[in-house]
Amino acid sequence: MKKQFSKILFFIASVFLTSCAGFLPAPEDQPVSDNSAVVALMDTARADIAKGNLDAAVAPLERALRIEPHNALLWQGLSKLRLQQGQYQQAEGLAARSNGWAGSNKALRAENWRIIGEARLKRGDHQGAQAAFDKAATQRN
Amino acid sequence: MENPYLNNFRNFFTRKRLRLFLLSLALLLSGFALYLDISVRMQFEGKRWAMPARVYARPVELYSGMKLRPEQLAMELAMLDYRAVDDPQTPGSYRRQGDEFTIITRPFTFWDESQASLPLQADFNGVRLSALTNRATGKPVTLARLDPVLIGGIYPAHNEDRVLVKFDEIPPHLIKGLIAIEDRQFYTHHGFSARGTARALVSILSGGGVQGGSTLTQQLVKNFFLTPERTLRRKFTEVMMSMLLELHYSKDEILEAYANEIYVGQDSNRAIHGFGLASHFYFDRPLSRLDLPQAALLVGLVKGPSHYDPRRQSARALARRNLVLQEMRKMDFITQAQYIAARSTPLGVVEKAPEGTSLYPAFVELVHRQLRRDYREEDLRSEGLQIFTTLDPLVQTSAERALTVRLSQLERDRRIPPRTLEGAVVVSHSQNGEVQALVGGRNTRFEGFNRALDATRPIGSLIKPVIYLTALERPDSYTLATLLDDSPLVWRERGTSDWEPQNYDKEFHGKVPLRVALANSYNVSTARLGLALGVRQVMENAHRLGVERDLNFYASSLLGADSLSPLEVTQMYQAFASGGFRVPLRAIREVLMSDGQPLQRYPLSVEQVIEPGPAYLVTHALQMVVQEGTADALKRYLSPDLRLAGKTGTTNDLRDSWFAGYTGDRLAVVWVGRDDNQPINITGAGGAMTVWGEMMARLDPDPLTPPMPENIEMIQVDSVTGLRADGGCQGSVELPFIRGSGPTEAAPCAAHAPARSLKSWFERLFE
Repeated sequence: MKKQFSKILFFIASVFLTSCAGFLPAPEDQPVSDNSAVVALMDTARADIAKGNLDAAVAPLERALRIEPHNALLWQGLSKLRLQQGQYQQAEGLAARSNGWAGSNKALRAENWRIIGEARLKRGDHQGAQAAFDKAATQRN
Repeated sequence: MENPYLNNFRNFFTRKRLRLFLLSLALLLSGFALYLDISVRMQFEGKRWAMPARVYARPVELYSGMKLRPEQLAMELAMLDYRAVDDPQTPGSYRRQGDEFTIITRPFTFWDESQASLPLQADFNGVRLSALTNRATGKPVTLARLDPVLIGGIYPAHNEDRVLVKFDEIPPHLIKGLIAIEDRQFYTHHGFSARGTARALVSILSGGGVQGGSTLTQQLVKNFFLTPERTLRRKFTEVMMSMLLELHYSKDEILEAYANEIYVGQDSNRAIHGFGLASHFYFDRPLSRLDLPQAALLVGLVKGPSHYDPRRQSARALARRNLVLQEMRKMDFITQAQYIAARSTPLGVVEKAPEGTSLYPAFVELVHRQLRRDYREEDLRSEGLQIFTTLDPLVQTSAERALTVRLSQLERDRRIPPRTLEGAVVVSHSQNGEVQALVGGRNTRFEGFNRALDATRPIGSLIKPVIYLTALERPDSYTLATLLDDSPLVWRERGTSDWEPQNYDKEFHGKVPLRVALANSYNVSTARLGLALGVRQVMENAHRLGVERDLNFYASSLLGADSLSPLEVTQMYQAFASGGFRVPLRAIREVLMSDGQPLQRYPLSVEQVIEPGPAYLVTHALQMVVQEGTADALKRYLSPDLRLAGKTGTTNDLRDSWFAGYTGDRLAVVWVGRDDNQPINITGAGGAMTVWGEMMARLDPDPLTPPMPENIEMIQVDSVTGLRADGGCQGSVELPFIRGSGPTEAAPCAAHAPARSLKSWFERLFE
């Protein structure tokens, strides 16, 4: 029963992951910031990721975060990048940071909890992952 | 009768002898040459490959809308030695007209990109940069970086007293000056000039010793290997060695070695070798930042550092410098306008040779320690690594000024003997843990004892927020409104003497709301709370927040008997300032190889160690410390609207004065005390807090508005009983509670209060 359950979880998670292969918010989504310097840095990071150069994308994201340390989208961007790089503990911490600054943005929160769930799953913490996915689900109402 | 055979034999023999003789001479000579060759190369390579790590401050990021005052930009440009000119054209020059700057940036290779020189125009509006434009195109510039300030180096051990420079760091003016006055044929000769050597030979043979006529290469050889004797043999060796050097190495390599080797001054018993160190010694700035007249002065000193000593023989030095300029003009190395301007510039030598070559030795030491974890010491001292750090010179300057000014002021005001107080400051970014400033003591240029890293002192009340956090993490038992018991306490523990904590005001306050006990830093109620929670539990929480040092589990630990350094305190408070995250303090962002190739990044890393709810409550309580508690005098420095959070700390017999506090963007910890640990009779609020306030006031802090977690609700409570209040209550307060932990019972003042007296309510509470 439990095994089956984690299989389902895994399926959900992989669907979620493939659905955001270009995992930084695309430019046509809500703009990441009204500060054009931050937008430019985010574009740089996106271009690095598109070239498959994940390591290079970290620096512009961190620069953007120095300019806007309260920007939940930037924390989430770095979190997704770390998840992609297999740094699961960092991904989880950064998603929690993003939650801290998410305010009333439930969609953003739900996304962060899914990242946390995914990171926990990868680290073999099935119970913790389940709890996180549950939290993601409750954010929608 | 001649014997033809004999003749032949004799002829043959003499010829053979001559041949043998010549052969042995050639062998001897080539042996000597080989020996010279080996020693030349060994010397040269050994000296050449030891390149110190260069340490840079953070580069300023310019973008429209950023928080930056015109005078801060002016200060940064001054630290970078950008030249103020009427019409900036060359990289490293600028013009300021009121609040409008025109800057030609220097090209620079950063970790993530190379930025070419940019012609920028920056306009200000009060405390913000309102517009950034490219002057050449007239288009707005989204984001641009200034090159970073060079703040020090990590030098080879046997070369502690050198500041080695690479060829590309030598100002072109300096090279041209050298060539104009010392060796005009440098780029064409093969190590020696025939005419000069001939002159020297004539002078030696006529008994006048060696006179002049040395090329730069020969001067280098003399500095490298030779004693100052004046003989034919020495001259011969010198010429040979110079030719060998020229054979093996390029002109630029020879110039680089020359610039690092030449003797240009004397600092009591220490010889100043190399232009790199000389630049700090005479001008207190790195060599790459020298302007034309300064470079000309250094070149002029080569001929005789003591004869032309600019500090003692300023008239002579000025004449010598101007002669160098004149020669440069003759060779057409400089324009007439440059020549006239440089001639009329004063010498510009700093009065006293600075103590060290770094402006910020305390911070550089922190960098060095963090690097040692990842790099071998010899690599740091020899590979020419470029270290990009997190230091913000503007913040550092404010911290240094605040500490030095306030300590002198405190000594005057309180009749303390001058120069007896000491202090330390650490400032970090509250969200990402980057160390922006670190002051190791009053003498900020001192390279010795670094109090910010190594002065471990009892932290006193700075431990209290950890106790209150431990309580607030149990919302079923404790909230900001919970009443604590501040009545006399005697604690008996086997192995220690009885412990009877006192309050600072020597009074007991009966029942006090939890938030008030922290705001007023009551010892007795805090100790009771800590004992109820368990000392071990509290101290383990300190570890969870980031304290790595072993802590004691005695009751006295609850009132801060354990010692930490200011840096360790900063790491602990970082968890509160960041809203509940352990963010390792970082002094380094990136390390590049000497050729600009990326080597290593030190990324931002975070780990949640406090749930958002309790973290929010602790910050709220620490804001009350500033609003109405022990730190309320902070409003003399900073507006209450900033809603800052902080905690004062005072240790037994008033030996240490601490303050830890955070704004929306920065966390800072200040310690004030004496090196001999004698009482200073100053509280945390009287000493360290004033340094903190003075410093932060210069930095335009962001207000502290932590985001409210989902599980926090605001409830109106009666400030005395902590019960639920309504409009009918005088003196009620609105407090945050973790959802479900707020009071349900109505306060006596509220409309729906049960008809019971306040007294009976209290009695019920403590039955």
